[in-house]
Amino acid sequence: MSHIQETTDHLLSRRSFFGRTLWGVGASAMASMMPSRLLGSPLNASFAPRAKRVIYLFMSGAPSQIDLFDHKPKMQDLFDKDLPDSIRQGQRLTTMTSGQSRFPIAPSMYQFARHGQSGTEVSELLPHTAGMVDDIAVVRTVHTDAINHDPAITMIQTGTQLPGKPSLGAWLSYGLGSENNNLPTYVVLNSTWTAKRDAQALYSRLWGSGFLPSKHQGVRLRSQGNPVLYLANPEGVTQETRKTMLDGLGEMNRKQFELSNDPEINTRIAQYEMAFRMQTSVPELTDMSNEPDHIYDMYGPDAKIPGTFASNCLLARRLVERDVRSIQVFHRGWDQHGNLTRDLPLQCKDIDQGATALVQDLKQRGLLDDTLVVWGGEFGRTIYCQGKLERTDYGRDHHPRCFTMWMAGGGIKGGVTYGTTDDFSYNIAENPVHIRDLNATILHCMGFEHNHLTYKFQGLNQKLTGTDAEANVIKGILA
Amino acid sequence: MLTCLFVQTGLWADSDLSFSADIRPLLSKYCVSCHGPDKAKRKADLRLDVPKSAFADLGGYAAIIPGKPEESEIYLRMVTKEKDDIMPPPDAKNPMSQEDIEKLKQWIAEGAPFEDHWAFSAPVRKPVPKVPNQDWNKHPIDAFLFEKMAEKGLKPQVTASKETLLRRAFLTLTGLPPAPVDILRFADDQSGDAYGKQVDRLLQSRQYGEHRARYWLDAARYGDTHGLHLDNERAIWPYRDWVIQALNDNKRFDTFTIEQLAGDLLPNPGIDQLVATGFNRCNVTTSEGGAIPEEFAVRYGVDRVNTLTTVWMGVTVGCAQCHDHKFDPFTQKEFYQLFAYYNNLDEKAMDGNAFIYPPTVKLTSDEDHEKLASFDQKIEQIEKAIRVNLASIDYEDPGARAKDKERKDYIWIEDELPEGAKASDADGGWQFVSGSGFPTYQGIKSHRRSAQGSEQHFFTKARSKLVVGSGDTLFTYVYLDPIKPPKSIMLQFHTNDWEHRAFWGEDVIPHGSGKGAGHQWLGNLPEPGQWVRLEVPADSVGLSAGDRLDGWAFSQFDGTVYWDHSGIHTQIPQGNEGFQSMSVWMHFIEQAKDAGLPKDLKTIAKKGTDKRSNAENQILRDYFLEHVCSETQFLFSALHDQKKQLSDDKSKYEQAIPISLISKERKETRETFVLVRGEYDKRADQVQPAVPEILPPLPEGAPNNRLGLAQWLVDPAHPLTARVMVNRFWHQHFGRPLVITAEDFGTQGELPSHPELLDWLAVEFIESGWDMKHIHRLIVTSAAFKQSSAISPQALEIDPENSFLSHGPRYRLDAEILRDSALFISGLLVEKMGGKGVKPYQPSGLWKAVAYPSSTTANYKRDNGDALYRRSIYTFVKRTSPPPSMSTFDAPNREACTVKRERTNTPLQALTMMNDIQYVEAARCFAERVVEQSLPKTEQRLNYAMRLATGRTLAEDELKLLGNLYTKHMATFKKDQEAAKGLIQTGEAPRISDATPEELASLTMICNLILNLDEIMTLN
Repeated sequence: MSHIQETTDHLLSRRSFFGRTLWGVGASAMASMMPSRLLGSPLNASFAPRAKRVIYLFMSGAPSQIDLFDHKPKMQDLFDKDLPDSIRQGQRLTTMTSGQSRFPIAPSMYQFARHGQSGTEVSELLPHTAGMVDDIAVVRTVHTDAINHDPAITMIQTGTQLPGKPSLGAWLSYGLGSENNNLPTYVVLNSTWTAKRDAQALYSRLWGSGFLPSKHQGVRLRSQGNPVLYLANPEGVTQETRKTMLDGLGEMNRKQFELSNDPEINTRIAQYEMAFRMQTSVPELTDMSNEPDHIYDMYGPDAKIPGTFASNCLLARRLVERDVRSIQVFHRGWDQHGNLTRDLPLQCKDIDQGATALVQDLKQRGLLDDTLVVWGGEFGRTIYCQGKLERTDYGRDHHPRCFTMWMAGGGIKGGVTYGTTDDFSYNIAENPVHIRDLNATILHCMGFEHNHLTYKFQGLNQKLTGTDAEANVIKGILA
Repeated sequence: MLTCLFVQTGLWADSDLSFSADIRPLLSKYCVSCHGPDKAKRKADLRLDVPKSAFADLGGYAAIIPGKPEESEIYLRMVTKEKDDIMPPPDAKNPMSQEDIEKLKQWIAEGAPFEDHWAFSAPVRKPVPKVPNQDWNKHPIDAFLFEKMAEKGLKPQVTASKETLLRRAFLTLTGLPPAPVDILRFADDQSGDAYGKQVDRLLQSRQYGEHRARYWLDAARYGDTHGLHLDNERAIWPYRDWVIQALNDNKRFDTFTIEQLAGDLLPNPGIDQLVATGFNRCNVTTSEGGAIPEEFAVRYGVDRVNTLTTVWMGVTVGCAQCHDHKFDPFTQKEFYQLFAYYNNLDEKAMDGNAFIYPPTVKLTSDEDHEKLASFDQKIEQIEKAIRVNLASIDYEDPGARAKDKERKDYIWIEDELPEGAKASDADGGWQFVSGSGFPTYQGIKSHRRSAQGSEQHFFTKARSKLVVGSGDTLFTYVYLDPIKPPKSIMLQFHTNDWEHRAFWGEDVIPHGSGKGAGHQWLGNLPEPGQWVRLEVPADSVGLSAGDRLDGWAFSQFDGTVYWDHSGIHTQIPQGNEGFQSMSVWMHFIEQAKDAGLPKDLKTIAKKGTDKRSNAENQILRDYFLEHVCSETQFLFSALHDQKKQLSDDKSKYEQAIPISLISKERKETRETFVLVRGEYDKRADQVQPAVPEILPPLPEGAPNNRLGLAQWLVDPAHPLTARVMVNRFWHQHFGRPLVITAEDFGTQGELPSHPELLDWLAVEFIESGWDMKHIHRLIVTSAAFKQSSAISPQALEIDPENSFLSHGPRYRLDAEILRDSALFISGLLVEKMGGKGVKPYQPSGLWKAVAYPSSTTANYKRDNGDALYRRSIYTFVKRTSPPPSMSTFDAPNREACTVKRERTNTPLQALTMMNDIQYVEAARCFAERVVEQSLPKTEQRLNYAMRLATGRTLAEDELKLLGNLYTKHMATFKKDQEAAKGLIQTGEAPRISDATPEELASLTMICNLILNLDEIMTLN
């Protein structure tokens, strides 16, 4: 075996590892040696991206668009009147209400007003959001294929209702790699919530890598225990002791490389060194004690309580500052079949200030231009009441035919309200946006023509937007 | 003209164009999505994937005229400058390269020969090539490989060292490394076939099945929870154990297939064969509120078809759910024909979030049957003794003389609640008071409440219920505080409801309304400052003979009230009291609407005296004496106790017998339709079960149901099954399959690197009688498998993926092997087989963070003791939050069929191996194991540790390195005793060595290092 060759490879690979990024490392460094098909190396973006990073604020359970963004004043006169058949058009309902003898209209009890220069309508439940409408594009006509939580949330996160496909963040990790040396490419934050406790579940597939290599899966940053699993050394092992062990390990592994010439060993050595660096960089990331008071004032009192949505928003900003590619913040408890008027205000209070502060904080730091922020749930809620109906007490069932999301930042035009629904917020009147269109738009902002971000699996060029139907970028909200 | 063409395409003129390798991919890439099998998307009704359409006369011209590219429309369209004519059309954004155009041109010029797709014709065994290498010409596999290697200018490696070879065979066949005793035995065996004998031992070991089953469980998408929404636990682990056992038994693969897909349809299926059909039930299911059952029923069927075709056929027909396949010859209709085989499974679409989701089978073994029978026998003996006793009693009815006629007070509530009663915790709950300052009527306590407005305390669910007889009166004693009297007091009695209320004073307590049994006013408030007996005639509050009370509420409005000594004035025996007179009892049971009799006796009692037979009267008499009669029932209490104990033991035993989800066919055939765009509510044409046309028909005599489908898959004429399986076996040993797209043998998949070898193995598999162990043995005894895994610079240059096997296998071991090896090396592994999934160490809060709070898997409750150290195949898999140390190493979450795991290399893996308590504890116990050897020198210890873990000893420089490291750690831990003690306390396993803390801690760090070596994590 040629020693010169070995040494060169060795040096080459070491240099490339340290010059490259953490999560993308195996791939990008090795790309010259192995076909990219096997490694899923970062692809070239289709065109210059507007956003480098995305923060997805996900409201699991499905917020009521009728009570938050999709103002329907005409409904006030139709209190307890039946939803006309001409509106329902025999469309399917969940089996929770398909047996109801009637579908009485429940007008929103909340006041709406126009805000900002754009005059975007927002309900009184989101006073902070209302203050930043000129920075966000409100899309009122998102629609989905699924009518139940599990398939719907799987659909919005992975592009299909069935488990097994990669999540948005995994696609971006695969497509764009990482820009950070010491942190995961794709981070998931779960938040506490205030409404009733039996919230809809989340599933690891929502940040999973599906058929993509598992290095693309989201990494949960936890607010309790180790922020990243297995990050801390065992009791009695200091960082110094760990370093001693790792130095020895590196030496031993390099000896193996000399014998076997297997480049994968060098990748492993580099990954251990990076793991060691993460042991410092992650605690530094999650220690928010050095954030100044005026920042805490922006995010609100919750921001000081680890695990709250506001605290996670602040953490998301810190992740963005460190160039983490995708950040998914989950907030549960939005499934208001009953007691909507008790629970929805609590949920809104959980998220309103934090989400707003996040956008504003990014803006004041000049990060909003290349960070995309997305807010929304897996579907909407019905205009008709589920269960008991009173003016100030009602519930709403699942409604996949239209719902509201908002987007802000990289590539998005602020102060836009896109799409119109009918008077009942039941059907879309103008500019429908399918989940596929939404995902195509997110990819567009990140620099991808959605048809070009593909991975060959099971004989098909798999895409986030599916292999069959068309998907269109929502041009009307692009900057 | 032709000559000229060849000159023009000089580049390709003398090359050998292969339709499969060169042309089909081009047609697929540029043409077939619009001119292929998918009818709906097909343009100009032209197909370019089949010669018939491609060569057809389109009215004076043809898409392809063999031999004449310049006259073939497709070529002309490729090279035209006209924007409107050019193909592929510009808006497809898929322009052809010049090189590709030249290739197609040459192919047309050469006569445009089409070939059937290789994978859809049955494999044929080609002769084994003769190769000029005496180490590589003995084994058919090697001959095929050597030939290709030589073609590529590659040379094989030398045979690996004995230790390496042994470790490799152990890991690939059993998923565990060799133990020191195995290493010694193998080193000592100088016979020519030492390795072959070792392989045979491994194939016979039970660890073989525990390891090999894991690949199958990935494919079968086995998990311990339903997978969707609530993701509750499901009863199916016996299926996992069945797979392990079947592999250990080396069940023929055809039988293995048939039993899993259709064991229930075999004649007189045994329990095992039913358990095997759990394969069809492993798909994820839901019971989400509001879900539409039909939608999910369709989804399950689709998943089953996809799993079937992926696992056995290596093709993906999933896209044909919505439309004809774009590239492969599978139509949408054919998809639903396959779907029809599954559409007849007898199961509800909603799983009910139930652990036992029917249909299921109880795994009652012969031993269980015996055990249960012995319980029955003992119970029967007791019943016999009861009968003997009954016969010996000479009962004389005291009739009118009986005390039964007298009405008397029976006290139900005195100083404590009746047995089993559950007090409400509303309004501060139930409060007994005693002592000075609190009035008491009898006993030592009364219960008291001081209320503002309407308040109450109550209980329900008393086990010993109060039985009402006709004309009975309920009573209680009450003491109203003279200083703070209430406005009103109320008694409420609970049967199935609370609609039995009596109140005194003002009508201000808001329970019930109007007049009548649910809101009966019985007068003014009694005199305060003294105990007064309140009486409520049972019939005044709607209670009649036979009603049973299990609850009582004491309500008041304002004031302070004491209650005591409550019960019923009755002639009906209460609690354990019995009747003295049978005739009085008979009178009671005839009147009462519920006398608490068993069902059959109730029927007899209802008949009336004159209509009962003697035998029936005898039954009543026996029942009376045994259970009711105050003079005789005590004679039976010991026997009753024994009988109850036995029944309880029996039912406990019965409940412990495992249950597993199985397949069952519906009696009536469910109709199957083509679903437009795959949507469950858009039915088109009805279809019957059938297999795809491109593949052979069902074997002769096979029934057209799931059983026939299974038989078809393992029919030797089937071109896919054997190839797909041997390809996966190959992958599992070499870390790389022969067909790299193991999940896609269709036209879009990769061509096999060694087609002749693949076919040779496939035929061998079939002809060996589908002998899985035989194929594994063939593979691991090849020179190719045995060669060193060192990579020569030349191999890295020519063949970096090692497609041509010029060196032995090298790949990162899978999650399960890593954990199991650490446990094995540390001596912690508990080699118990089978049973319910176990819950080893896992960071807390992971389930809770995502789960639906009322899920049965909302909280991870870690097991203790042995369960922490079982093989990973027994680890409980919650599919929406799978074990993190597994998924970090690419283990799938088992939501969908997986036949090929990715292999990644990430920092999270490093963190897991370094810090997961499972691995740290393993390092600590590994260190203790080394200490236990009483080796005096550090070098000896280090060498022993290395040998335990890798099978080899340390080289001189390695020894020095680790020795220095050890000294360094010693210095640290000597200074910091607390740290040393902290580290060696890791994990639940007891300490066994008496080494000093710094000694053990330092060695633990060394062992932690060894367990993190690339050498440990890699099969090499």
